[in-house]
Amino acid sequence: MRIDWVRVAGITIVVSAVLIFSMLVVRSEFPAFDHVEPVEIETTEFLWTYRLIDMIAQAFVLFVAAACCVAMLRVKEKKK
Amino acid sequence: MIPLVYYLAGAIALYVIGMYCLASKRNMIRLVIGIEILMNAAHLTFIAFSAYRTAGYIDPLGHAIVIMSIVFAGCVTAVALTIVTYAYRHYGTLDVRKLRRLKG
Amino acid sequence: MVGWVAYRKAYRKILGVYAALGLSVTAYFLYELYKEVAEKGIVLIVGQLPFNPPLGACLEIDMLSVFMAFLYTIAGLFAAVYSIKYMERDTGLTQYYTLLLGLIAGMTGVVFAGDFFTLFVFWELMCLTSYVLVAFRKQRWEPIEAGFKYLIMSAAGSATILLAMSFLYGMTGTVNFAGLAASLNNATPDGWLYVTLTLIIVGFGIKAAIVPFHTWLPDAHSAAPSPISAVLSGVMVQTGAYALIRILLLVFGSMQPMWQMPLAVFAVFTMFGGNIMALLQNDLKRLLAFSTIAQMGYIIFGLSMASLSGLTGSLFHIMNHAVMKGLLFLCAGSFVHQAKTRDLRKLRGIRKTMPLTSMFFAIGALAIAAIPPLNGFWSEWMIVTAGIEAEMIPFSALMLANMIFSVVYYIRVIRMIFVEKPTAVSKKATEAPASMLIPTFVLACLCIIIGIYPGPFIIIASRAAEAALNLLAYIGSML
Repeated sequence: MRIDWVRVAGITIVVSAVLIFSMLVVRSEFPAFDHVEPVEIETTEFLWTYRLIDMIAQAFVLFVAAACCVAMLRVKEKKK
Repeated sequence: MIPLVYYLAGAIALYVIGMYCLASKRNMIRLVIGIEILMNAAHLTFIAFSAYRTAGYIDPLGHAIVIMSIVFAGCVTAVALTIVTYAYRHYGTLDVRKLRRLKG
Repeated sequence: MVGWVAYRKAYRKILGVYAALGLSVTAYFLYELYKEVAEKGIVLIVGQLPFNPPLGACLEIDMLSVFMAFLYTIAGLFAAVYSIKYMERDTGLTQYYTLLLGLIAGMTGVVFAGDFFTLFVFWELMCLTSYVLVAFRKQRWEPIEAGFKYLIMSAAGSATILLAMSFLYGMTGTVNFAGLAASLNNATPDGWLYVTLTLIIVGFGIKAAIVPFHTWLPDAHSAAPSPISAVLSGVMVQTGAYALIRILLLVFGSMQPMWQMPLAVFAVFTMFGGNIMALLQNDLKRLLAFSTIAQMGYIIFGLSMASLSGLTGSLFHIMNHAVMKGLLFLCAGSFVHQAKTRDLRKLRGIRKTMPLTSMFFAIGALAIAAIPPLNGFWSEWMIVTAGIEAEMIPFSALMLANMIFSVVYYIRVIRMIFVEKPTAVSKKATEAPASMLIPTFVLACLCIIIGIYPGPFIIIASRAAEAALNLLAYIGSML
């Protein structure tokens, strides 16, 4: 079986990168929520109670994505 | 609960795997899957943070962001797949290394 | 202010309604322009509902946003008028105008975003529409290949932005820009902030054409239909620069030494990469695309100084670049439309058969090459002097060298169009139709006007820069 050395090298690099990054991440303390301003809780509650707003934004983007797909998949009519 | 950094390590691992996938896969559809993996890395961190904000409660902002972002990732995938369809029609192959006609 | 959300999509038959579609787009944009002009000079905060402004201020409009939105609207208006004639032989025009409006809406939403999440939503909208607009002519292989490469790189950029946003959310518990700025004000830069900064520069840099991440740009801009190239190159890469301006100045505003030097180094690489590659090009639109990369290098350099004069120069250059690059791409589109080729060697001497368009092209090319009486000179000069003030002298010297490089290749293009003998291809070309001439004419006039009398425009740009730098006012008015 032929071994593709480039691919082996690539996979080795990736696996070692994952392991090294994981160890670095696990050792370092993430400054989670060190800098919280207590007043900002209102934005969160606002967005959660008025879900309609972000639903509208999402629906809009979804509609434009549908328009994109229609634009791409259109059939060219042959005009004589 | 397990410490927060394990979730972050998982997300970083997903990000690296996603980048590897984008850099080294030949099949166009696998590249599109790689983009999905990248976005899921970010989704994982959002959910992890929203769970660890205050003990016992979850912060809904993270979840709202992730719900929208999953939809956007799906939209990007849909558009990407239409482009892949046409690329297959033009080139006859799904191998992205054959798309080399534009150089320089 | 929710007007930009609405657009019109006409379900009409193809024959005879192209002009109506184009004009409806135009009329809509004129309405937008009126609203923009009426609101200038005011710092506006728009809450999502009429009551309680501090709650959920997802949109925030200050001078910088209005400045950029005005540019986008003008660019979209010209592209729409131009498209009436240019795209007449294409199918799917209803979707085309829809997507063009969606692109402008997305970009406008990006500059009006008050928090990072809104910015991401509109960023995705802008990116989605631009993927499809680049790959719009799917019958040929070139837009498809360029569109696919563009999509992969840009989607990776969006994912990187999302990851950076999640780290910022983790560190501060909010994604609101004012909240982020207030929270990270006194932060000491530790490892995770460096990581986040790197992700942000990479993510937005892919869109803003910073050099290691620019490889999608020449293919995408030369393969897109010309009015789309004008909008993409003139204003969409500026949106990446705008996002960098906002985030680096607001969120990382208190940690300036952290990002100034690396950004300046990237800017110099970008300038060199763009200019040197442009010297080697034979394809007209590819040359213009590489020149866009170089101009973005100037803008990022102005940003990296983070001083008022540097930022004013950058914003003024953004405005000039939108006008000049839009003009150049629209003229190039006229050439392509009439002569059916993009190769510079075949387009020689086209001045004889297309005199007006060649003249407008020459005005635009001279403007970008920073010849004194035209507008490019003022903005590039401002960036250079700001660099000397901020004691980044080797970078300013490199920028001057790059300006000289750009003069070289623009003179080459002008010489090929004007001086040489016409080839067979360019002899067959006739002058461009009226609706393609009008936008180019107006843009050329704008170049000259801004060049001769830059005063009021510089004042506008400096007010925008002040608004960008004014951290306290931003936070104070949002919280």
